[in-house]
Amino acid sequence: MFKKAYSLLCIAVLVVALALTGCSSSTKEGASSETGSKDKKVTITFMHLWTAGSSKQHNMIVNDIIKEFEKQNPNVTVKQEILENEQYKNKLKVLAASNELPDVGMTWAAGFLEPYVKGNLFAPLDDVLDSGLKDQFVSGTTEAYAVNNKTYALPLELNITPVYYNKEIFGKYHLDVPKTYEDFKNVVQTLVKNGVAPIALGNKDRWTGSMWYMYLADRIGGADTLKNAINGSGTFEDPSLIKAAEEIQNLVKMKAFIKGFNGLSNDEAKAEFTNEKAAMYLMGTWDLPQFTTNEDIPKEFRNKVGFFKFPVVEGGKGNIDSWVGGPGVGLFVSENSKAKEEAKKFVKFFIEKWGEQSVTKAGVIPATKVDTSNINLPQMYIDVLNELNKASNITLFADVQMNPEAAQTHLNLIQSLFGEGVTPKDFAKQHQEVLSKTQ
Amino acid sequence: MKQIGRSIFYGILIILAALQLLPLVWLLFFSLKNNQEVFNTPLFSLPSPPRWENYVKVWVEGDIGRYFFNSVWITTVSVLFTVLLASFATFAITRMNWKLKHIVLGLFMVGLMIPVHSTLIPLFSFFMKVKLIDHPLSIILTNIGFNLPITIMVLLGFYQSLPRELEESAVMDGCSVHRMFFRIILPMTTPVMVTTTIINMIYNWNEFVFVNTFISSDEFKTLTVGIQNFIGQYTTDWGAIGATLMISVLPILLVFFFLSDKIVEGITAGAIKG
Amino acid sequence: MSFLSNTKGVDSMNKMMSDKRVITLYILPSLLLIMILVYIPIVMTGYYSLMKWDGIGSMKFIALDNYQELIKDTMFWKSVYHSFLLAVFSVISLAGYLIISLVLSGKIKGANLLRKIYLIPMLLSSVAIAQLWLRIYHPSNGMLNHFLMFLGMEDPPNWLADPSIALYAIFVPIIWQYAGFYILIYYAALKNIPSSIIEAAIIDGANPWQLAYKIKLPLIAGVIKVTIVLAVVGSLKYFDLIYVMTGGGPNGASEVIASYMYQKAFRSFNFGYGSTIAFALLLLCVIATWVIRKFTHSDEEIQY
Repeated sequence: MFKKAYSLLCIAVLVVALALTGCSSSTKEGASSETGSKDKKVTITFMHLWTAGSSKQHNMIVNDIIKEFEKQNPNVTVKQEILENEQYKNKLKVLAASNELPDVGMTWAAGFLEPYVKGNLFAPLDDVLDSGLKDQFVSGTTEAYAVNNKTYALPLELNITPVYYNKEIFGKYHLDVPKTYEDFKNVVQTLVKNGVAPIALGNKDRWTGSMWYMYLADRIGGADTLKNAINGSGTFEDPSLIKAAEEIQNLVKMKAFIKGFNGLSNDEAKAEFTNEKAAMYLMGTWDLPQFTTNEDIPKEFRNKVGFFKFPVVEGGKGNIDSWVGGPGVGLFVSENSKAKEEAKKFVKFFIEKWGEQSVTKAGVIPATKVDTSNINLPQMYIDVLNELNKASNITLFADVQMNPEAAQTHLNLIQSLFGEGVTPKDFAKQHQEVLSKTQ
Repeated sequence: MKQIGRSIFYGILIILAALQLLPLVWLLFFSLKNNQEVFNTPLFSLPSPPRWENYVKVWVEGDIGRYFFNSVWITTVSVLFTVLLASFATFAITRMNWKLKHIVLGLFMVGLMIPVHSTLIPLFSFFMKVKLIDHPLSIILTNIGFNLPITIMVLLGFYQSLPRELEESAVMDGCSVHRMFFRIILPMTTPVMVTTTIINMIYNWNEFVFVNTFISSDEFKTLTVGIQNFIGQYTTDWGAIGATLMISVLPILLVFFFLSDKIVEGITAGAIKG
Repeated sequence: MSFLSNTKGVDSMNKMMSDKRVITLYILPSLLLIMILVYIPIVMTGYYSLMKWDGIGSMKFIALDNYQELIKDTMFWKSVYHSFLLAVFSVISLAGYLIISLVLSGKIKGANLLRKIYLIPMLLSSVAIAQLWLRIYHPSNGMLNHFLMFLGMEDPPNWLADPSIALYAIFVPIIWQYAGFYILIYYAALKNIPSSIIEAAIIDGANPWQLAYKIKLPLIAGVIKVTIVLAVVGSLKYFDLIYVMTGGGPNGASEVIASYMYQKAFRSFNFGYGSTIAFALLLLCVIATWVIRKFTHSDEEIQY
């Protein structure tokens, strides 16, 4: 009975296929023309990822800003749609494919944003920048959102990635904050000898391991080697980039990272650090609230956390004030928005208001300049902000710098490198292949 | 000897049951912990103090009430239509005589085989065209469409084993096809209909990919967005997620235990007749 | 006389059961829904698979280039192998569920309650199942490794981080999650067997093994075939737990077809290639189903 069904099925599928493609191509036009209403009531849709549950403070600020904006612009209503990170990215993709992006939404920098810009879906925001906003941004932060000298989104966050460490554990084994990579390896060795896991790393998420690799690449090859390899003006098979990969595997062999790190998520790894089972943790400054103000984490622990800058490698070209980090999410305006002017106005308003409140109320360091002199912040924030001012360079996260295809390959290779599933040479070679293929 | 074999079997069954029950216990404990405890305390330990505030947080901040209502009615409507339409189709395929039935059955079976994620973009533009984006009907229709194949498959095996004499005697009594279907076939297949109802209910209740993609207004979203509410950009509130999961599993658990008894009733009723 | 009326009955029944209008009425609603909701996406997926498209900008027709790339893509074939492995394990596990259901459907006290309890994991969403098993497999404070260390093992495995075992480690929760689903179906099928048949067999002196093997199994053969198809197709397109628990890693050790497709289409922004994978998955499912049907084909359809 089923034999017949299947032999005939293929034909049926083909017939239906032809019929349907015929239908769908003829009905493409004529959907979106009737909504250009004459009365001045305008609704802006705003899609973001700050849910009321997990990002309570962010969410409250967003609501306040919207309320204020609507008050000043009585003809405009802002309608929010909130999705969690993963779902947000998927939905943005589906909306983009159907040319139905929200008027205002969140995007990530460089590689993430590029396909959207090339598809003409994001509106250039240079006019917004030039209307007085430019000076308010920390210099260089908007560049990550620029394609061909036009800026397509404006950042809301700026992060760098220090190495957090547990002062008590360091004290117990008479360890000092390492200034050089040799010191750092000694710290690792001492901790391993004493049965303490040196570094919490959740490399299932892969971008976590990427930061370690980036720092070693920076300290050995200098700030530009990796950047050039990614943008095509250099090569990934540069000896310093291979050397950095070798160093990663040396660290793995020294058992520098917690047990089973390649199967752990960042959340699980962070828990090892906050539960004082691991001594160090390399992570973005977005986690600062966890080590300063978050009441869910015991105060005794929060008091034990300090941070240091990734140590320099002797003979390397990198400098200790060079950071891995960069702007996080930014706001875009849809090129096809029916309320583009209002949307741009809203973005400008949002950036300004957000910059005023985000550090104090939500613990988020904005991409706009923060005046530390007249606000009350935990000491660690002040230290980080000072470091930011001193920074000689901030290298944008590699997976953000690269286009999505290369980024996925990079992330997979990072996991293989840490899992000793690929040699440093092949690691570099495969990077070079995908980068030159997708350039 | 027989006794021993029987008790061994029994023992195995009970151990299995205990294993299957543990996830629920675990989820309850999980929902009473904060992030620190979730990662640091043993799986089956009750935190002290238990953090009931997770439930308060979920209910108040998560605005669960409305999502809950949406989940209930969307699931109910979807399940009813799926099971009914699938019963119609299975009846026509297995009991009636026509040439194309093998092809049509094949068409339904292929419906099992497409990965959900590759349907999103085409379906989104389809619903866009028919103006059903951000409309609950888009969810109900996809729920029905994507569960019809599996429902028909499960019904199939049961329908095929129904005795022909049943229909013959019905026809001799002067029954119409519709009457035969509603009065004889449907009651006979109650147990399997309940089975498919449960399966459909579980699938529809936990569905979130379509809801997230097709629905943007809060007023039509379902319970699964409650979980999302506690997944942050960089951190996740696991205790609150546990509480949401617990709240969302309870109704389905209750319905399931109630419906299962219906199966037994149906069977005993059938047995008396037979 | 009785012979005459009987053929007459069959005749009029055949006529009635061939009524085109009734057939259309019963089939059309379902068929339309499937055609629109399932076949539009299938056709579009086939269409995208011939394109170079990032899902955002304009498409470029590249004919079968994506398929040529797919054939050479070792990662794809690795994921196919993993998916088929899952299908094999799922089918093997069906035997276990069948035995449990046979025992349950015998006259056992509390069978009804037990059966309900077996379904509980299925009720929980994959998010919950994933979190539970992540805690069980946690390399340093997971339940499993605590237990192994208690037994004296010094360096218990890193279940989900070790490429050589991650795939098998993740199969366990997947198969376990669906236990209740199949038990539910088998149990309903077994309970559907008229008790008169079973009583007759017992009177004829059949022992429990004979009863199960000679009477019950043949009677539910149709249902068993269906579950085999469901298990195979379900495994081939399986996605949820793998994505949450390992993301296909480490080093692609637990990548399956659907997770690979998702990565390509939604993470690498290579929607054309992702659609190619999806279409290949569809073809694999069709072939697998056809093969199963061929092997389990029997001419006589058993009725009670």
